[in-house]
Amino acid sequence: MVILQRKELSLAERLYLPEVLRGLSITFRKFFEKPITRQYPEEPLPKDEVTRGQPRLVVKEDGNVACVSCGLCEAACPAYAITIDGQETDRFIEREPERFEIDMLRCILCGFCEEACPKDAIFMSDELELADYTRAALIYDLERLKRPKAALQKRIDYVYRINDRWRKPSSTS
Amino acid sequence: MIEELLIWLVKVVVVWGALIATAAIMSLAERKVSAWMQYRHGPNRVGPGGILQPLADGLKFIMKEELVPAGANRLIFRVAPAIASMPAMLAVAVIPFGYSAVIAGREIPLSIADLDIGVLYILALGGLAVYGVILGGWASNSKYSLLGALRASAQMISYELTLMLAILSVVLVCGSLNLRQIIETQRAFLDWNVFSQPLAFVLFTIATFAETNRHPFDFAECEPELVGGFHTEYSAMRFALFFLGEYCAMTVMAALNTTLFWGGPSIPFWPQAPWLLGVASFALKTAFFLFLFIWVRWTLPRLRFDQLMRLGWQVLLPLSLVNLTLTGAVMAFWGD
Repeated sequence: MVILQRKELSLAERLYLPEVLRGLSITFRKFFEKPITRQYPEEPLPKDEVTRGQPRLVVKEDGNVACVSCGLCEAACPAYAITIDGQETDRFIEREPERFEIDMLRCILCGFCEEACPKDAIFMSDELELADYTRAALIYDLERLKRPKAALQKRIDYVYRINDRWRKPSSTS
Repeated sequence: MIEELLIWLVKVVVVWGALIATAAIMSLAERKVSAWMQYRHGPNRVGPGGILQPLADGLKFIMKEELVPAGANRLIFRVAPAIASMPAMLAVAVIPFGYSAVIAGREIPLSIADLDIGVLYILALGGLAVYGVILGGWASNSKYSLLGALRASAQMISYELTLMLAILSVVLVCGSLNLRQIIETQRAFLDWNVFSQPLAFVLFTIATFAETNRHPFDFAECEPELVGGFHTEYSAMRFALFFLGEYCAMTVMAALNTTLFWGGPSIPFWPQAPWLLGVASFALKTAFFLFLFIWVRWTLPRLRFDQLMRLGWQVLLPLSLVNLTLTGAVMAFWGD
């Protein structure tokens, strides 16, 4: 058991007013300090390579998506947010997605799709803002998911670096 | 005669407008200052830097629905906000905001009314302010409102004694109940009453905080215990009127503090300053005391109700009595 002794107050403290003045001087000094609030929409959050935002599909330099619609991300997705329909293509890779949808309302931004992808076709972008008027508008189709590789490069480099031990850059991308 | 009436009308419009404008500015300043003291930005969306926030607030108050609770005394419920906001607006009439202006050869005393019993008039109106609070709380037919009103009125009545006694010692020093006379005796810097009556100044300032229900004595409203306070059941413009009354009362008390203790429009070491500068000096001093109201609110924790009553009756009241007695004795034996 701890017995707390009440602190003996000095005369100035018991008079209360000197302490009030001391308190006032503290708040007055704070008055001139810079606010630490971030004005969000005008001053966006600092975005880092570690930022794990919404998943996006990589568009290679030749204008095609890197995705071969293998369905691994679809299988890895714990929230069942991804839907893929594949189709044939004359390109060397033979398959490409006809339909690639991510339901952003279901996506939990876990990054499993990024880890599962054997073709470096899907990466977590730094895009975090998600707002619309209908649910249907938040199911992103292929066109809305496409991003040029350059836009995702920071994240791609980061993923290569941290996954270096077991993952090598894909031979076809 | 017409000219006299016109001058009087202009003074009424200017002073009353200034009072309402101050109340509006204070509602913004309250939020801005509190924000700055807490490393925040405060309201900054309406107009440049949030300047137009009071207008937006006012508009919202007007648009909202007025509710009258079931079982409330409708007449008193409706009249109470007016009773709460009127006294402060009336009290401003006797406060001299300058010595006298000379315009086109006419000497115009700068106060709406030059009452010989100005101090008494303000104290009487201060007493009336309690009615708005207690009628509003009682007519609401709500236990929270009633408890809040009882608490607030008990506090206001207790601190009114200290307020009056502090003012009385100033009246003894100046030898007049006329506020214009009181500022005349303080023309020189060293004649400011704060130097001869420092204790009365401290007592008066503390009592004004309690009298206007401001922090750390804001017992009229309290969310955790009373779901608001005496104005729990009020909404829309009637609620705004209580608010307006509080800010007007603060302005009047700040102006009264300036007038009684800080020389009113007097400027240190420049007794012959132009009248406009005198008015500016008065406004500046009043603004400081208004700032003090906000400043203290964001610095001190509030008292408990029993602490408030003990402070009022056992500390402030005896101190003000001692101060008054000493002042009286000094004035009787050594006074001129």
